[in-house]
Amino acid sequence: MTDGPVLELRDVVRAYPGRTAVDGASFALPSGGITCLLGPSGCGKSTLLRLIAGLEPVDAGEIRIRGQTVAAPGMTTAPEHRGVGLVFQDNALFPHLDVRANVAFGLSVMAPDARDARVTALLDRFHIAHLAAAWPHMLSGGEQQRVAIARALAREPSLLLLDEPFSGLDGHLRGAVRDALLADLRAAGTSVLIVTHDPEEAMMIADNLILMAESRILQTGHPEDCYHRPISIAAAQLLGDLVMIDAIVANEMADTALGRVKALGIADGVAKLAVRPDAIVPGETGVTATVSAARFAGRFYLVEAFAADQHVTFQFAGKRPSNGESVTLSLRANACVLIERCSD
Amino acid sequence: MALPLIGVLLAAFGTDTADIAGRDIARYALTSAWLALLVGCLTAVAGTIAAWLVVMHRFPGRSVFAWALALPLATPAFALAYGYADLFDVAGSLRIWLRHTTGHDLPFEMRSIGGAAFILSAAFYPYVYLAMRAAFLNQSVNVLEAARMLGCGGGQALWRVALPMARPALAAGVALAVMETLADYGAVQFLSVQTLTTGVVRAWSVYGSTVSAARFALPLLAAAALLLWVERASRQGATHESGKARWRTIDVQPLDGVRRWLAFGFCLSLLTAGLLLPVGWLIWNLAQTTPDWERLVAATRNSLFLGIAGALVTVVLATMLALGTRRLPIAARIASLGYATPGAVMAIGLLAPAGLIWNLAPGSGTAVAIVLLVLAYAARLMAAALEPIDAGLARVTPSMRHAARTLGRSEAGAAFAVDLAVARGALLTALLIIFIDVLKELPATLILRPFDFDTLAVIANNYALDERLGQAGLPSLLIVALSLPAVIWLTRRIATARPGD
Repeated sequence: MTDGPVLELRDVVRAYPGRTAVDGASFALPSGGITCLLGPSGCGKSTLLRLIAGLEPVDAGEIRIRGQTVAAPGMTTAPEHRGVGLVFQDNALFPHLDVRANVAFGLSVMAPDARDARVTALLDRFHIAHLAAAWPHMLSGGEQQRVAIARALAREPSLLLLDEPFSGLDGHLRGAVRDALLADLRAAGTSVLIVTHDPEEAMMIADNLILMAESRILQTGHPEDCYHRPISIAAAQLLGDLVMIDAIVANEMADTALGRVKALGIADGVAKLAVRPDAIVPGETGVTATVSAARFAGRFYLVEAFAADQHVTFQFAGKRPSNGESVTLSLRANACVLIERCSD
Repeated sequence: MALPLIGVLLAAFGTDTADIAGRDIARYALTSAWLALLVGCLTAVAGTIAAWLVVMHRFPGRSVFAWALALPLATPAFALAYGYADLFDVAGSLRIWLRHTTGHDLPFEMRSIGGAAFILSAAFYPYVYLAMRAAFLNQSVNVLEAARMLGCGGGQALWRVALPMARPALAAGVALAVMETLADYGAVQFLSVQTLTTGVVRAWSVYGSTVSAARFALPLLAAAALLLWVERASRQGATHESGKARWRTIDVQPLDGVRRWLAFGFCLSLLTAGLLLPVGWLIWNLAQTTPDWERLVAATRNSLFLGIAGALVTVVLATMLALGTRRLPIAARIASLGYATPGAVMAIGLLAPAGLIWNLAPGSGTAVAIVLLVLAYAARLMAAALEPIDAGLARVTPSMRHAARTLGRSEAGAAFAVDLAVARGALLTALLIIFIDVLKELPATLILRPFDFDTLAVIANNYALDERLGQAGLPSLLIVALSLPAVIWLTRRIATARPGD
């Protein structure tokens, strides 16, 4: 399962009248493991999924699955011949078939004995054997999803695509349902590509991340790399809140209202420093700032303050700071995720 | 499917030979309009009240009335006309008996616009009843409860909330009833009420003028297009609401003492007017007649053949249209125009192309005529088949279709394995609806049928025109007997179907 990427996209373009949904997408998906395609609503990630599944043709570029070209301009391998499984956001179970028949739907050419054996194995693997005779409308959202995944895996696809699989689940159950499902998916050993708009979820479950915004792929890599070493402000914003701090760079050091940080490889001049809110630390030493607002966020207060003219947001774990109160702030070492030179 | 409509338009602008004055057309049109207005109002009131009672209240017989109120769909309007006309005939036994016992005559006459409106309303109120019943069942209980919280009592909730919300359904149901009224030939002809549809048939059969017939048909076509637009436009409004409303069981309110028997009486009188009384009278009269069995058996065979062939052809065409027109909705719109078009108009439109074929191949008369007749049924009833099939196919989401593709089915394979499989109940519903409608169809059959090829409706009409009402009763009752099982199956299915299931 380790020979070459299971999926490769090269400069894939999909344009609708007046709008380009996918603009020059290129990435490769390693065999095995879970990859998350993360982006805000309407960024083109669902279209990308449909292009990979073969439900839409590409306008330019090329898609290869297991080294075989399946889509290029003027050439589209039909979805049924791609060896790709797709689990829809609404699960799309067939209402006229029971759970067992839904899972067996894609296996019509198999011998009945082999088919029954495979369906039974899948029902067991996804813990839905007791629902085999149930009808789709009798199932909970989580159960429906397990049926949909088992159905998609029945044909042993080389790649399984899931479209926003966890968005329909209830809040407090979501984590547990998700973790159990992912464990079963990993045990199945298929390469999985999950589309999601939830950055925390994506970082938690993915072996690899693909960041997408405004029809373009911004960055690919391990979640930690993407979080700590984003290649652009846009990519960094996808994974969490950012505090932007004005800086002046001289001799590869950046001077800010909260102190100095390293700015390796950045030319001298005016720049913007991007840090995560947890990198601004209240403490004994540092710069004095005045609190302008504080919001309760559970484990901490999310506090807004001004250090000179610099507006900053940070997390504060102590007693609720009142407006006008002074706090002492410093930047944690390696706080900076990105420095961008402002154009002169 | 649009061929007959074009045929009518072309024929209307030919040179006339029968010399029917425009004044006559205006007079007939006025009668049609009056009749449509009266039937529209009567069916709207009766159908709405019945639906509201059955959905929202508990009273004796409610669960039976829920489906039984739709049974008059099995009785052709002309059968009701025969029954009522005979029952209330000036020289009839009922009037004579009343004159003798009370010294007064009944103050109404069945052979009038009023009588025709009453009979057609008794026949067509189920269209409104079924539409309103579905609307009331689908309404959001939350909205009704909100109205309660804001101070509306039960009756007020009907006026201020439920009725306005169900207005699209009311418009659609009344539009259907009015369409059927305009298309009716057998009943109004027998009652000597001259409408545009009788005009069409008469211009063709008495004067032999396709051109005059087509001129009578033009206002009908315009009215049909208007009604169809009303029906479609109101249905669009209906889907907005019911799609989002969360469905919960409606808490049925028990009615107290007098009111429960009033509700019972109202529903029973509707059923009596639409089915029990006229059909009962026809059955009562059977005793005095000696039926011509040979003719009846042949006609029954022909009716069944046409009903089955018409249903199959129409449903196959409608299914292809429904699957094919997802990308081209305007085609379905045009095909649906036929539903509003009276069968007589449809037949006139098909006469011109038929004449061409007959001239080219004179020996093919019977076969071609039957094919044309089935085509006329298909064109006329396409929308009636399309509606349930579309609704059935609407349960198939695009993602189900795509799921079937990623699971190894071709586009056609997915249509068979998913679309048609999910919609199979709807297909059966469509088959039965078309079958019933073909059995009851009269004017198109009269005009297009091959020589010596009688259906039950045709011989009933022939007997009735000869004033042999007793003889006309049996074929009418046979139609009821053939379609009643199908109607019962359909209405029970509708009665048990709940949006949440």
